[in-house]
Amino acid sequence: MEKVKLKLLYSELRPELDKIEKELEVAVGSNSLLLNEASLHLLQAGGKRIRPVFVLLAGKFGDYNVDVMKQVAVPLELIHMASLVHDDVIDDSEMRRGQTTVKAQWNNSVAMYTGDFILARALEYITVIEDPKIHDILSKTMIEVCRGEIIQIEDKYKLDQTVRDYLRRIKRKTALLISSSCELGATVSGTDAETAARLRRFGYFIGMSFQITDDILDFTSSDEELGKPAGSDFIQGNITLPVLFARKDPLIYKKLKEAVGKDMTDSERLEIVELIRTSPALMEAKSLSDQYLNKALKELVLLPKGNANKTMRNIALFIGKRKF
Amino acid sequence: MNDLQIHSKITSMEIDVLQALHQRTLEKYTAGPSIDRARLFFLLLPFFDGKQWSDDMEDSAKTVAIVYAALHAHDQVEEDSPISKSQQLTVLAGDFYSGIYYQMLSNTNNIKLIQLLASGIIGVSEKKASLYETTIMPVAGIESAAEVIETELLKVFYDYYGCSQYSAIAKPALEYVYFSNQLDSFRNGVETNILRKLNLALPLPLYSERWLLDKLDSLHNELTKALDVHPMDFNLKNFMLHQITPHQHLAEQLTREG
Repeated sequence: MEKVKLKLLYSELRPELDKIEKELEVAVGSNSLLLNEASLHLLQAGGKRIRPVFVLLAGKFGDYNVDVMKQVAVPLELIHMASLVHDDVIDDSEMRRGQTTVKAQWNNSVAMYTGDFILARALEYITVIEDPKIHDILSKTMIEVCRGEIIQIEDKYKLDQTVRDYLRRIKRKTALLISSSCELGATVSGTDAETAARLRRFGYFIGMSFQITDDILDFTSSDEELGKPAGSDFIQGNITLPVLFARKDPLIYKKLKEAVGKDMTDSERLEIVELIRTSPALMEAKSLSDQYLNKALKELVLLPKGNANKTMRNIALFIGKRKF
Repeated sequence: MNDLQIHSKITSMEIDVLQALHQRTLEKYTAGPSIDRARLFFLLLPFFDGKQWSDDMEDSAKTVAIVYAALHAHDQVEEDSPISKSQQLTVLAGDFYSGIYYQMLSNTNNIKLIQLLASGIIGVSEKKASLYETTIMPVAGIESAAEVIETELLKVFYDYYGCSQYSAIAKPALEYVYFSNQLDSFRNGVETNILRKLNLALPLPLYSERWLLDKLDSLHNELTKALDVHPMDFNLKNFMLHQITPHQHLAEQLTREG
């Protein structure tokens, strides 16, 4: 339902997004039956296609041509897809978006080769653009996203990490790719440098707010809404912002310390979820998410008015209010 | 160029590649990047053979070595569940190395080579995945998979820099190393994907060892013939034959055993 609501916000992009969807289907076509099947399986699981949306919207601030925009939008979504199929191996996930993962449907090796194949397709696709700036932005982003994931694994179960550690991690893990989507869309459509920089910052702030909201929802949503047990992040050792704020209470800290990294029963898990839910931590996390959201909105105020600006604003507000 | 100079150049490139891929956490928890010295030798072969060699070629050769390291990292991911921290980081190591090769080539504005390597990676991934298909693969399919997996990216490098003539040498040599490793696995009781496919393709699994020995013979002959027609320094040819593909013909082995 929420996904439908979000899609309605950018319904005016429907024809362009349909074009991108078709292009994605062509892009994941392979001579290998197995890779073909695995890639289509991944593609058909759907997704919000939020990165292509931001590429297209940012492009509207410049000289917009959908055939040029798709040269960036398609590879960005492919890079995201490749990272998802590898993430499912890392997280040992059986399900994603209500569908079995590639690693569950086939095995880890097939998931690895599917990810490598899709990533290579993305690079094959984006290299039709010769502007070195595009490749500079994208290659740096790819490396930083990996660094973010490496740090996330390194920081697992570390209850004593700082809020700054967390913010640095989610910047790399989530915000950068959204930020780069905006910047690449702006650059490829030839906006001036100031507009591109504002759009990059907008994407960064939205990405930060989006990830914090995601981390809050891991505690506030039901198991059914999430499609996985509430508190899954904590069970997997990912110390997110609500936990970092909640640990300020010595009693909660003690409980968290006892539980972190332990094989928890369902009732122990629900006890932790309840502790976080009833603490002021979620409000504090929401407040920080809102601060990022407001910063994103401020960037929009300084950008040229128009439909794209309005849609970006609506998406930003939706992200701030979304329920799951 | 003598053996010492060849080894020294390979080591120098190996160090450069390791430095480019340095990442503290990955080094701590994973096996680190796999830089195959035989492959480095073939990337450097035009240089060893006295062909005009630029900084750009050297940098590109390093990035091809990085691509191999990235793909190799993903070959090391096992089927264990739940996956260990070291395995999780091995997944990320492959992705990280891919980012590095992309950045290195984009820094030198070598966009065309990024595209060609990406197409090469697609071919390699397709062949690797084909080894997981449930259908029986004919022997020719197994040979074709080995060829693409081992030599496709090197071929991209040679073609891009106008050194295509070296493919005829590198192909049998690298396939030789590949099947030689398969033979070792067979003799140590380790079942690799290729061995599994081979066992299914041949009338009896027992034939696999014999097939591999014959294959090594034929690849060695192919390499010797390729070296015969390519004018090259004697030491360099010797290095290849004795250090990269040290071969004992099946007939010789049988005589010794008999």
